[in-house]
Amino acid sequence: MSDSILWYTTRGAGAVTLILLSSVVVLGILGTQRVQSRSWPRFLTTGLHSNLALMTLVFLALHIVTAVVDPFTNLGWAAAFIPFDSYYRTFWLGLGVISFELLLAIIVTSLLRGFIGHRSWRAIHWLTYAVWPIGLVHGMGTGTDTWSAWMLGITCACVAAVALAVVLRISSGAQDPLAVPRAAFRGAVDRREPR
Amino acid sequence: MSVIAQIERAGLLGRGGAAFRTANKWRAVAERSRGNAVIVVNGAEGEPRSMKDRFVMTQRTELVLDGAFVAARELRANRVVLYIGERHAAARDAMLRAVQGRPERERRLVSVALAPARYVAGAEAAAIHFIDEGIATPVNMPPYPVERGVGGAPTLVQNVETLARVALLARGLPAGGTLITLAGAVASPGVLEVDSETTIGEALAGAGGMSEAPRAILVGGYFGRWMETQDAVAIGLAHGNGLGCGVIGVLPASRCPVCEVAGIMRYLASESSAQCGPCFFGLRALADTCTQIANDVSKPEDLSRLHRWANDVRGRGACKHPDGAAIFLSSALDVFARDFANHRHTHALSRTA
Repeated sequence: MSDSILWYTTRGAGAVTLILLSSVVVLGILGTQRVQSRSWPRFLTTGLHSNLALMTLVFLALHIVTAVVDPFTNLGWAAAFIPFDSYYRTFWLGLGVISFELLLAIIVTSLLRGFIGHRSWRAIHWLTYAVWPIGLVHGMGTGTDTWSAWMLGITCACVAAVALAVVLRISSGAQDPLAVPRAAFRGAVDRREPR
Repeated sequence: MSVIAQIERAGLLGRGGAAFRTANKWRAVAERSRGNAVIVVNGAEGEPRSMKDRFVMTQRTELVLDGAFVAARELRANRVVLYIGERHAAARDAMLRAVQGRPERERRLVSVALAPARYVAGAEAAAIHFIDEGIATPVNMPPYPVERGVGGAPTLVQNVETLARVALLARGLPAGGTLITLAGAVASPGVLEVDSETTIGEALAGAGGMSEAPRAILVGGYFGRWMETQDAVAIGLAHGNGLGCGVIGVLPASRCPVCEVAGIMRYLASESSAQCGPCFFGLRALADTCTQIANDVSKPEDLSRLHRWANDVRGRGACKHPDGAAIFLSSALDVFARDFANHRHTHALSRTA
């Protein structure tokens, strides 16, 4: 019984991770858009985005730890950190490891943004667009539950939400919501000699 | 005894607002300096009600310069930058005149940078960015100025009053005492020097008392805290007591606290350098909601939003601008809770300052 608890936890936490990660991606994209109202100012979107990302990491850790310690799968810790190292569903699991490590890099660099500077942070943050699809494919490929009605529903909803957000992002073009006020302020405190 | 040891023993805290331990800052620069350190004499004074930095630059000019050159000697600096607010013409002239009277070996270290008259321009990181690149926006820390400041060299950015206190210490005099600026409903507003035993009530009495019945007192300027009058007057004027930049503002009972707070929040929101989203959008949302309450009838959901959002914006910027504004607002919501809950557009009180 305790063995199957671990196994169910792995699968459940995997599904929750997908939902959370998709929400994080959607919120991250919406954060660059003019999504706001009087009761929901824009800075709350970014706050929720980063808090949900940390929560994603918690469920992802649960997903990985329960998978590794489960005697049934007998994965071993190496398989959790080295891509394509597991005997079990080598390819699909390897995708999961890659996705996990990229996500970890994105979150760690976000927490250390002040140290590494905006430019490098942003470059690494773009990896999100790799993390999400790789993670999704990992789930569908490995997935014991892929074709169950509820998991199919979750997957479709996540894909639809992220796709919609990406379309919205692309159609609105490249825009930094702070560009105009930032330029105005910089202009006001700029005392360089005109060339 | 070395100057740093004297500063340490006197327990001197920075007078720019953050009350950072001066000795720690000096030691950090001294450890890194290889004869290349830079001293930034910070007289930007962007705090709207503060006048004490201008006072010390015009009235105690030699002390400020003495302190700056003591720092230059002690920290083996090859550059002293006078960073003075561009609108503080009298202070600038006094400082420049005094520099002319210094010996050549000191004079050749000095250059002047005129700080744009904006709130964040006085922040250490903004001062360094301005001196290096001519744009007074705060940049990310670390690296801290003591590590890599002006031109990448270890840099001491020090408030002018702090430097004057150092000069007193270096002469073997006690550096105790504090310059404060009394503002608002005070019989004779302006700069006052007090010792750390003095209470705010005694300082106000020394300035001829309050000119009107007070409603509350703002301790520490726009990054400070509102307090009930009876609590504030009992506070001793020692740094580390939340004195901030030393502005003590008395709000008269004839003014509407909600309208006053809304006005200051709008100002602080407009002073965001718009580099970090949470600061720019967060402070704007807070200021807008305060203004909604000020212009209209208070709604419970507006109040709960203010409480929640004031916590949400803290720690979310590269500099401390959102934190200062949030502390100010939270204290206002606390002290003026009843005014915020029962505000009516058509109140009998006069609107704002």
